[in-house]
Amino acid sequence: MNTGQIISGAGHLALIGWALIGGAFRSDPPPFEVVQATTISAEEYAALVERPSAPEAVANVDTPEPPAPGDAAPPLASEPDAALQSSQPEPRETPPPDAAPDVSEIAPPAPAEVEDTPPALEQPQEDVAVVVPEISPRPQPRPAPRIAPEPVDRPEPDARIDDVVSPEVTPEDGAEVPQEPAEATAPEEAASEIVTEAEEPEQSAPTASLRPRPRPAARTESAAVDTPEPSTEAPATDQGAVNDALAAALGASEPTQDRPSGPPLTAGEKDALRVAVQQCWNVGSLSTEALGTTVVVSVRMGENARPDTGSIRMQSFSGGGDSAARQAFEAARRAIIRCGARGFDLPVEKYDQWRDIEMTFNPESMRIK
Amino acid sequence: MMRFMMSLFAALTLWAMPVQAQDSGPLRIEITEGVIEPMPFAAPDFVADTAAGTELGRNIARVISADLAGTGLFRQIPAEAHISRITSFESPVQFADWRAVNAQALITGAVSVDGAGRVVARFRVYDVFAGQELGSGLQLVGTRDGWRRIAHKVADQVYSRITGEGGYFDSRVVYVSESGPKNQRAKRLAIMDYDGANLKYLTDSSSLVLAPRFSPTGDRVLYTSYETGFPRIYVLDVANVGRRVLPTQDGTMSFAPRFSPDGRSVLYSLTQGGNTDLFVMDIGSGSSTRLTNAPSIETAPSYSPDGRQIVFESDRSGTPQLYIMAAGGGEARRISFGQGRYGTPVWSPRGDLIAFTKQSKGRFHIGVMRTDGSEERLLTASFLDEGPTWAPNGRVIMFTRETQGAQGQASLYSVDITGRNLKQVSTNGGASDPSWGPLQD
Amino acid sequence: MTYLSKTFLLFAGLALAACTNPDRFDDATGAGLDSGAASGLTGAASDPASAAYFQQAVGDRVLFAVDQSNLGTQAQTTLDGQAEWLMTNRDFTAIIEGHADEQGTREYNLALGARRANSVQEYLISRGVAADRLRVVSYGKERPIEICSNEACYAKNRRAVTVLAAGPTS
Repeated sequence: MNTGQIISGAGHLALIGWALIGGAFRSDPPPFEVVQATTISAEEYAALVERPSAPEAVANVDTPEPPAPGDAAPPLASEPDAALQSSQPEPRETPPPDAAPDVSEIAPPAPAEVEDTPPALEQPQEDVAVVVPEISPRPQPRPAPRIAPEPVDRPEPDARIDDVVSPEVTPEDGAEVPQEPAEATAPEEAASEIVTEAEEPEQSAPTASLRPRPRPAARTESAAVDTPEPSTEAPATDQGAVNDALAAALGASEPTQDRPSGPPLTAGEKDALRVAVQQCWNVGSLSTEALGTTVVVSVRMGENARPDTGSIRMQSFSGGGDSAARQAFEAARRAIIRCGARGFDLPVEKYDQWRDIEMTFNPESMRIK
Repeated sequence: MMRFMMSLFAALTLWAMPVQAQDSGPLRIEITEGVIEPMPFAAPDFVADTAAGTELGRNIARVISADLAGTGLFRQIPAEAHISRITSFESPVQFADWRAVNAQALITGAVSVDGAGRVVARFRVYDVFAGQELGSGLQLVGTRDGWRRIAHKVADQVYSRITGEGGYFDSRVVYVSESGPKNQRAKRLAIMDYDGANLKYLTDSSSLVLAPRFSPTGDRVLYTSYETGFPRIYVLDVANVGRRVLPTQDGTMSFAPRFSPDGRSVLYSLTQGGNTDLFVMDIGSGSSTRLTNAPSIETAPSYSPDGRQIVFESDRSGTPQLYIMAAGGGEARRISFGQGRYGTPVWSPRGDLIAFTKQSKGRFHIGVMRTDGSEERLLTASFLDEGPTWAPNGRVIMFTRETQGAQGQASLYSVDITGRNLKQVSTNGGASDPSWGPLQD
Repeated sequence: MTYLSKTFLLFAGLALAACTNPDRFDDATGAGLDSGAASGLTGAASDPASAAYFQQAVGDRVLFAVDQSNLGTQAQTTLDGQAEWLMTNRDFTAIIEGHADEQGTREYNLALGARRANSVQEYLISRGVAADRLRVVSYGKERPIEICSNEACYAKNRRAVTVLAAGPTS
């Protein structure tokens, strides 16, 4: 046996060993459900009299075959796919969806549109038309992609969209404390209610002017990259650990049943917390059933006024089924984590009063009827 | 009334909780006001397990993103902003990196093409801020040509795991493709994926065709054609494009056909001696039963999802309005009472709402109301909007919008039932009379 | 896929599209429409027994008010002339086409057009034309003759047209 064979043998052994054992070091992926994506029947749309025009070429590709072995589908490879892509509106190429269809709609010479806010204005219509201004006196919100408790004007183009409004800090600003330059942030533009096309105020600025909107979405993301935000995450856990260690060192029994010390929170302090959480409570992607579900969520707070993510639990729910409650809870949890990431504005001397918080998320007033 | 005011003022008045008493227990607050905005998500390219999967992985991620962003409920975080790259489907997700770019949901996946040429895709959905997986990983298998359906199915899963309601991406739409000038418009039936891909024509344009309707399972289409010179109802098999005309009495016109929820009978309008009434025909036997008998026009019917009731359009009061009657006919009660003319009512698949066309003051609207006619809400307004059809999950409505004047063109639009996210559906040329099919198996 | 091949595909598609005959529809269905109605039965308008004479001198169409299907006095005069002509020229049968303007939903307008065609049919029968020589069809708002979107055009589109055919209707 020469050296080469020895090396080769050793190498192979090592390789086999790694193949056998190496896998054990990887964390086990969660279990998998396997589902067959059945696809539609394979019959070709043959008998057509009409000569296929352009898109028909595309059409040939699409009849997806059932996933049967020995599948006879013509392997048209990638060409048709690409053709499809070009005819597909890609999300980033189109202007914000709400604005897009309006382009063709600039013209309508506003006839008295009072009637468009349906039942309320019905009867007086013709008679009062002379007396009452044609436009409802209440300022109509302009449509915005975001609906929030308070309407928010379009942010300054330079401001980064953030849930927390912060003034711009320039290096010259902080004389003593060396402050990091922080960009100005502003809440994203928002309307206070959903404005449908049928209700858009005719007298407001021409709808077309909505188009050159300074895409807040893209801005947020790219801007966020340069901000050293991740740093806010790391200390959060560290702090938690420190707190835990501190608590352990002081011999505090874990969930202290001691009566809370310090005076109770003032209405203003509680209100600030409520407002802070609701800024991140996004119900925009909830089902209509979840929008009818109230969830009570408990959270353990750190002394740094940041929520302990792992402690967030659903205590109870009402008004919807299990699945709706789960979606509602997930939205509530995201609200607490997201807006709590930098710490809520809570007086540290009253920590015992707010160490455990129970929040009731009641979407009743957010529901779309 | 649909308005829901969310002024801070209202919130403050709601905030009437007594100041916490001295006794122990958690601090309690109630949140009643939130925001409604698209949820930011990231869907990086699916990792290619095999070399053949690279382009597929990118395309699948693109279609998923387009599906989700297209709902208006989600907002895509572009790949350029991503800090983390998903290089392995199995390795742990760096949640901090995704939080940093404010991705609230993350979809990761892997795709491979096996020896038999089948596409195998696996995916997971994460709640980034909670650092948890939503549901469990899933594997989908399909053909190479069916990759878009795989992507749609993934997007349907993501959509329902986050919103809690069924998806609608893996569905198709049958509609009337239009070409030519307004006074000589050529029309033919077309079928496409809900997003406009995979277009296919089902008839040629030698005879006028109108208002197709999918069967409940999506295997057949009912439509009206002038093939014989007179409007008659045809039933077309989607798979082999075979069609047959339904029996009718000579000297009559039949149109406005709709399948019953069990797919076995057809509800339609029959005109005889200038008068139009509603009938129902058993498809198997071809025998018809009269449902209405009035000198007025009764047309544009729609079954409730349970098949027990029918909502339809009638001008028995002098102008077209909406009425509901039992599926077997009999007395009808009017449900539309607003100002204007109402038509083309369509019962939502959830059963709670009826979508309709409303004509008022020279404008057309698509609107929804409850089945008792209350809470009417107009979602759109234009020179001519008509013919709503529901997405399989009852959340989105597609309809026809026609522009004004000699150069007027018809196209398809969709809108969320909240009235948000109005947008044009991509079609090849003019398009009208969409009928949204069910989710595919 | 490369840009070049995409471009090629695009052009190939366009070329294919160009091959389809946009006039097909007209050829196939023109005979059923009022515009080309008399094409099979030509004859000089000066010949009082010709379809062209019926169309131009007698008047082949009557107009209706918004949402209405009742016949005004002018319409009745036109239809009296039609009835007289049909009584004289008994070889002809006719299809009465009812139409609506674009202000209305598709299926309702189909029914409305049928109402209009029917009132013409009934009038002609009342003037002695045999019922089996007349058939009705409605095109709703599918076949406007005027294409502008205002009342001037709408008024002309709300019509019923008597289209002649030779021989008994099937």
